[in-house]
Formats: sequence, C-alpha cells, structure tokens
Amino acid sequence: MIVDVEEIDSRFLRRLKSEFDESYLSCFQCGVCSASCPVIEIEGRFNPRRLVKMARLGFKDRVLSSEYIWLCSMCLLCEERCPQGVRIPEVMTALRNLAVEEGYIPEPMRRIQRLLVESGRLYPIDDFTAEERAERGLPEVEAEPEFVKRLAG
Amino acid sequence: MSGKPKIGVWVCECGGNIGDYVDVQRVVEAIRPEVAYARRERYLCSKPSIENIKRTVQRLGLERVVLACCTPKMHRETFASNLEEVGLNRALLEMVNIREQCSWVHKDDPEGATQKALDLIRGGIERARVSKPLEAKRAKSIPEVLIIGGGVAGITASLRLAEYGLRVHLVEKRPSIGGHMIQYPKVFPTLDCSQCILTPKMASVSNNPNIDLITYAEVVEVSGVPGEFHVKVRLKPRGVNPDKCIGCGTCSRVCPVEVPSEYNMGLGPRKAAYIPFPQAVPSVYTIDFEACTRCGKCVEACPRDAINLDDEERIIELDVGAIILATGFELYDANDLPRYGYGRYPQVVTSLEMERILDVNGPTGGQLINPKTGKEFKRVAYILCAGSRDTENGKPYCSRVCCLYALKQAQLLLDRGVEVWIHYIDIRTPGRRYEEFYLETQRKGALFVKGKVVELIPEGDRIIVRGEDMMLNRIVENPVDLVVICPPVIVTDETHKLAEMLRIPVDEDGFILERHPKLDPVATKRDGVFACGMVLGPKDIQTTTAEAEAAAMKAVNFLSAERLIEPNKAYLIDPELCDGCGECVEACPEAAISIVDGKAVINEVLCSGCGACIPACPKGALDQQGLTEEQLKAQIRGILERSEADVKILAFVEREVVYTAVDLAGLARLEYPSSIRIIPLPSMSRLKLEHILYAFAYGADGVMLLEAPEHEGPYGKAHVISEERADDYRWELEDHGVDSFRLWYSRVYVPDWRKLKKVFTTFHDMIADEGPLDDETRAQLREELD
Repeated sequence: MIVDVEEIDSRFLRRLKSEFDESYLSCFQCGVCSASCPVIEIEGRFNPRRLVKMARLGFKDRVLSSEYIWLCSMCLLCEERCPQGVRIPEVMTALRNLAVEEGYIPEPMRRIQRLLVESGRLYPIDDFTAEERAERGLPEVEAEPEFVKRLAG
Repeated sequence: MSGKPKIGVWVCECGGNIGDYVDVQRVVEAIRPEVAYARRERYLCSKPSIENIKRTVQRLGLERVVLACCTPKMHRETFASNLEEVGLNRALLEMVNIREQCSWVHKDDPEGATQKALDLIRGGIERARVSKPLEAKRAKSIPEVLIIGGGVAGITASLRLAEYGLRVHLVEKRPSIGGHMIQYPKVFPTLDCSQCILTPKMASVSNNPNIDLITYAEVVEVSGVPGEFHVKVRLKPRGVNPDKCIGCGTCSRVCPVEVPSEYNMGLGPRKAAYIPFPQAVPSVYTIDFEACTRCGKCVEACPRDAINLDDEERIIELDVGAIILATGFELYDANDLPRYGYGRYPQVVTSLEMERILDVNGPTGGQLINPKTGKEFKRVAYILCAGSRDTENGKPYCSRVCCLYALKQAQLLLDRGVEVWIHYIDIRTPGRRYEEFYLETQRKGALFVKGKVVELIPEGDRIIVRGEDMMLNRIVENPVDLVVICPPVIVTDETHKLAEMLRIPVDEDGFILERHPKLDPVATKRDGVFACGMVLGPKDIQTTTAEAEAAAMKAVNFLSAERLIEPNKAYLIDPELCDGCGECVEACPEAAISIVDGKAVINEVLCSGCGACIPACPKGALDQQGLTEEQLKAQIRGILERSEADVKILAFVEREVVYTAVDLAGLARLEYPSSIRIIPLPSMSRLKLEHILYAFAYGADGVMLLEAPEHEGPYGKAHVISEERADDYRWELEDHGVDSFRLWYSRVYVPDWRKLKKVFTTFHDMIADEGPLDDETRAQLREELD
C-alpha cells in the first residue's frame, strides 16, 4: 500500500496540538507503548505506536475512523514507561473526542449511548440488585437517573 | 600632559556612507573652536589618511586623538597601533561610532543624524580630555600542567605535553593509570587489542622524566589564578613504599583477605594487598585499608620491607600554570533501572561487565560463562538505550558509544558461536569505518530487533526479553541465557566537586561546559583550564584522543604566551578611603577582591574588569582603569549638555554582545529615532545611580540599560547583578523626582538585533509622548550632584 500524502490534514495537526499539549510530537517510535500494552495480547491489530505515528503524520480520516482508538483500556502502563514523556492515553482521549465531533462513532458505542439516553444506565437496577444493596446497607439509587439521560443526550 | 591636553579630531565621511546623511563639514566647524585640530576625511581608514593623522600628531604635538568614523570593532586596532608608532598611548585614542550607530540608522533624518554625530563626538572629546595613558602588564605562567585523570585522555595529554618539554603532574584516583580502556579486550572498529595499544603508552608515562605520576590520589583544593594555580593533592595511604616495592606480589599471595576486584567490575576477587591488574602502572602494590585486617602477614613476607600498615594520608602541594580535566566517565547505576532487572536477575550483566567476561584475563579466564551463575551462555540479548535517550527514567542524551561497543561485543561472541540479538531503537554509526563495522556485524549473523525492550521475565535458567519488533509490527518475546544492558555513560562522581573547585560550569547533564561548543570545544569557561574526553560528553576513544591532543596544545599555547593583563581593572583610589567593609568582596563575581589588613585588595589577574564592585563601595573608594568615574561623567555630559535635539535618550549598552547587535542593526540599515545616543560599558553593573542621575541632570529625557544575557559575553554573573541594581535604581529615581518609566532595562542577544528597532522606537515614543524632563528637576539634580 502506498501512503497518499494528500490525505495529510494540517488543520487536524493544529487541532491535535491545541486539544492537549505537544508531548506527542516528541514520540521517536521506540515501541515501548506497544510492547507494554495489555490490549495487544487480546487484539493484535491494536498498536498505540502506529496510532500516534499516523496522528503525527496528520492522517485525520484514517485515524478518526479507526475503531482502534476506542480500544485503549487507559491502564497507563505505556505512559509510565514512555521514555519521551508522551501521555498516550490522553492522546487516545483527544482522538476519541475529535472522532465524535466528526461523527465517527463505532456502532457498539452508539448502542451504549442509546442505552444511556433511554434508561440512564448500562445495566438495569432490578429487584435482586436493589435487595442486595439494601441488605448491605447501601443507599437506594434512582432506577433511571435523569441527569445521566440528559448528559448522554 | 597637564592642564588642557591638545586634542585632534578627525571626522570621516566614509565616502557617502556617513557624508550623505551627516553634514560632516558642519560638525567639524562646530567643534573646531573646542579643540587644537579638527578635519574631515573622505576615507579615514585609507593609508594616506592614516599617514596624515600620524604626521599631524607629531607636527602639532597632539596629546589626544578622537576619530569619528565606523564602529571601533572595525579599525580601532589599526588606528591604535599606528598611533603607538608616533608615541600616542592607545588609551588616549577615542573612537566615536557615527556610521553603524548614526548615519546608517537615521537616513530619513539628516538633521537629527548631524546633531547626534556632533553630540557623540563631543562626548568623545570630553572623555579624551580626562584620559590617562595606560600600560598593559604582562605576566609569565608557571610552565607546569596538572592533568586530572589517568585514562586514555589523561595519558595522551600527559605524553604530548611532556614531549613538548613541559612538566606534567598526572593525578589518578586509582592505584594504576589506564582508565576504562585498559578493561576492554578489544576496541571498535578495528578490533585491535586495547591493552596491547595502551600498555606501551602507560609505560611511557612512568618512564618519562617530565611526568610526575601521582596515583591513588585526589585533588582536594585549587586556588590561585590561571597561569599560577596552587593545587593540593591528597595521597591516600597506600601502605606500600613505592620506592622499595619491586612488584613481586609476595604480599598479595600471603594476604588472606578477598574482596571484589574493581578491575573485573566486581565479578572476581582480589586480595586486600593487591595490584589491580598485572600490567598496572606504576607496578606497585597497594594495601586496601578498608578491607585489611592488619594481620601482618604481608609485612612479614615482603622481601623489601616495603609495607607499612600504619601508613597515613598525606597532602602534597603543586604549583601549575594550567589544568586539564580528564576524569572520564562511569556507567549509570544499573540498579536504578529496575525495569531491566539488574541486581535481581543473575542473567543480567552490564556492558562493562561483559567486557571483562570477554577478556582472557577476566574473571572467567575468557570462557563464555556468566560469572554470576557459573553457567555457559549460548544466546545473548543486548538492550540498547537502557536508560539513554530516556527523559523519564535515565538520561535524555544519546550515549554515543553503546551501539558500537554492542556491535563489537556481538562480533566477538558471534566468532565463538554465540547467538546474538540486539534490541535497539536506532543504530547510530556516525564515525569513520563505523557503518562498515555495523554491516560486518550483520554479515556475521547478529539479529537486530527494532524496538525498545520493556521488560525481562525470568523463566528457569533463561530470561525472556520482551519488546516490539516494529519492522514486523509484532511483540517479540525472546528467551535468552544472558542479557547485556547498555546504561548511559555519565560523568564520574567526583567531577562535580572538581568543577566547583576549578570554578568551571557544567551543563544540565553534568558534563563540563565548553567555552564554545563548536569553535572552542576543549577549553572550559575559565582561562587556563581545559578538558578532554568523556568529561565533555559521551564519545569514542578516537575522539577522546584527538581532544587530548587538542587540550595539550591549548595548554602549551596558554603557557607559552605571556599573559596580557588588560588595563581595565578596578582599583582602590586611596587606601585611606577604604574601611574594609567588604561590600566589594560580596559584589565581585570573580572573587577577585579580598580584605587584607582591613583594606580591599584587588587581584589584577582575577579581575575581569566588569566594574560591578565600583557602585557597591559605600565610600566611593573604587574606580576603574580606562573607564574612570571622571571619564564616564565627562562623556555623559559631553554628549548631552549642549545638544539641541528635542528628545535625548542615553543608552548604555554592554560592549561585546549588545554593542555588536546594535552594529548589526546599523549594517541592516534599520531606521530608529536619532534621539538614541550610545555609551558602551563592560557591564551595566558598572553603573551607579549617580551616573543615571547625572545623565538626567545634563539633558537626558530617558536612560536605557541594554545588558547582555547571563551566559553571553565575558562578564556572566555581573549581568545578574545589574538587573537587581536597575530595579533598585528605578525606585530611587522617583525619590529624586524622576519618573521610573524614564529608566529602561533589558537584555539583548546578538540575534536580537532585529528587535532593537522596536526597542528603541518604543522607548523613544514613550519618552516623546511624556515630554522632556522638566528644567526644575534637572536644576535640582545638578545641585544635588555638585
């Protein structure tokens, strides 16, 4: 596959810079993040180093439409080990925010959002849970919290 | 030359460069009545003009010469040496810059330019009137050199200097010279035997009558000045009389105490009575008193009666003219890199330990056995950048030698059938024959994995190296028998202490700061102190040797020239005035002043001529040669008092860095207001509040202090002092009825010259808007000052 430099979007680069600090510019592609990443063990195609590289090059559509930016588990191991102080989980968060702005939301995420809008919860509070909570002396919770619905909407 | 000295003034037109914008004829007419001789010249720097000046000086018996032309940086030296030929002391020549700092920058304002030229020339005339002849003193340096550190750098520099005929004192902290290089079995890229090429040089050091070899010792105090340093060296108690010891080793054989050998990186033992390695220089045994139980067996056994278990440390004193710092490097403590498991897993060794394992005289006798486990290894992984190029856990810089020595060790291992994996981020081979060496290593079968190693996982006898193979986009888990980590090279422990003793700055990574990173790389910021090798930054042996040769040459150069002591020193006007309060001692950035018998004594060699002490003296007892209070005030008054300009701004500028920037603005023909009149000073810390008040009293509407940045120019710390003073002065001005906005302070780098137009224009506009200082305040200031 040949890289099409026409895909590079310089506005995207500026946006990225303003979205968080410029630490990701000092990435020198050593691979510490990928080799540290627990997600890779499950999904071998996920590679934080490559995502940073592609973002760094300004491949806006490719990066934002990639479902991989949603796979980071925010364990921060890469951030802990990165020799150049790049805060990769923050890069991922910024990319997700930009992706949403551009309308790139993967279907599972949409479903989660719908669930939140409709019921205010990902998992319903059924009688069983309510009883369990009461037994353990935990306070009652709203079955369908309105503020979550509003937020998710 | 008493009374009114006869002054001659020449004003240059520089073709049209000055003459097109400044009415030179009008200027000459205006000053003619004030001096003995005044003349305009088309080209002042031409040979006929210079000859004419010389003839006129002789014919009329002129005692001062004022030349108004281009920047003094251009032709001052030519004029000064020509005038010396006719007996005019160079301190009696005044140069006035009316090109770069006048005609070229006020092309749109010929009237203003002419007035400014006239004012500046009057400043020069008034200053010349009170100038005195000055002689530069000369001093000889002590023709001996102290070299600290006996590695390949110190050895090379010592031999070169001794060859030249200078006396060298080579101080080494360990019992033998040889440094790290003597620990390597082979060196890249030639793979020749390190010990075979270094041992003869070590022997030459011990045989050379010009080299005073002082081992097992450390420098503890350095005083004095460049050219005349006094050094104290502590000789650690060695327990063996070097004059009697014949190096037979009997003491070592009978010694019952075993401790880890430093030479073998702790991988093998040595005795408490020991020689670090067989070809050590000097070939003298040492008793390690920290380990010694004082059993006395060695004393009994020694056939030469050379051992004294009550030996004590001694201090010796040396007088030297120059010092070369060659203290080399050590490896970053691998225990502080927990990710690589050093100290926890016995399968992990450092690269220096590997050097010893590869040596036939090493702890395993050259067998490929991990001394920590006693097991043979068949598959080895190298971890490059184990702490280098790491801003978070280690050092941010590239250690420069790791790639190459890893390739070297890899070749030695591959030749003996070991499988070698090299985990790297980038392989860097900048150096002659280095890329070829890399290629050769690949041909021999080394396996390269691009990707920094993230962790080591022990598994039975083996250890798994985990990292990404970026070329394959796959995570690699590589089980090996032995892991070699390549930690950053750092300066040795004692380097920081030595740098403080020598009063030379280090950079943020601890390496010695060069005088200039490109153009003066082995000189330090202090005269007479040089450095070479790893103490200046990571480098290979080839570069270290070249630097050692260069440092030796610099030392020779420094010692063979008579040192010129510039006549720009601070001095005590009258000892009676000084009450020994010590304010000047506090102010001096060079530690050049001390109080002796209740009076300030200024060391002429140490004094840099920054002038910072003069305003500090509460008694006004200090002054400066070539820039006396009288000269400075005369110049200020000369420039301002009779000027007819609407707005008058006096800008004091630091005379090396900032003055150059102002000249560059001229060269680029940047236009700025002609109200700006410049007086160069060594540093703004030379200025008293009095000088600023004086300027306001005699006509200034604004005063600018343009200082060089702290690390530029020759006066360094004085620039910090000046900033503090300017802050104080601003408040004190208010007490004298002058608004503090009329005093401007800023720092200017040479590349800032583009900004000068804005700086000058902004200040001019502000002062012009506010209007001139009122006459009443001026009159009052004059009264206060007189």
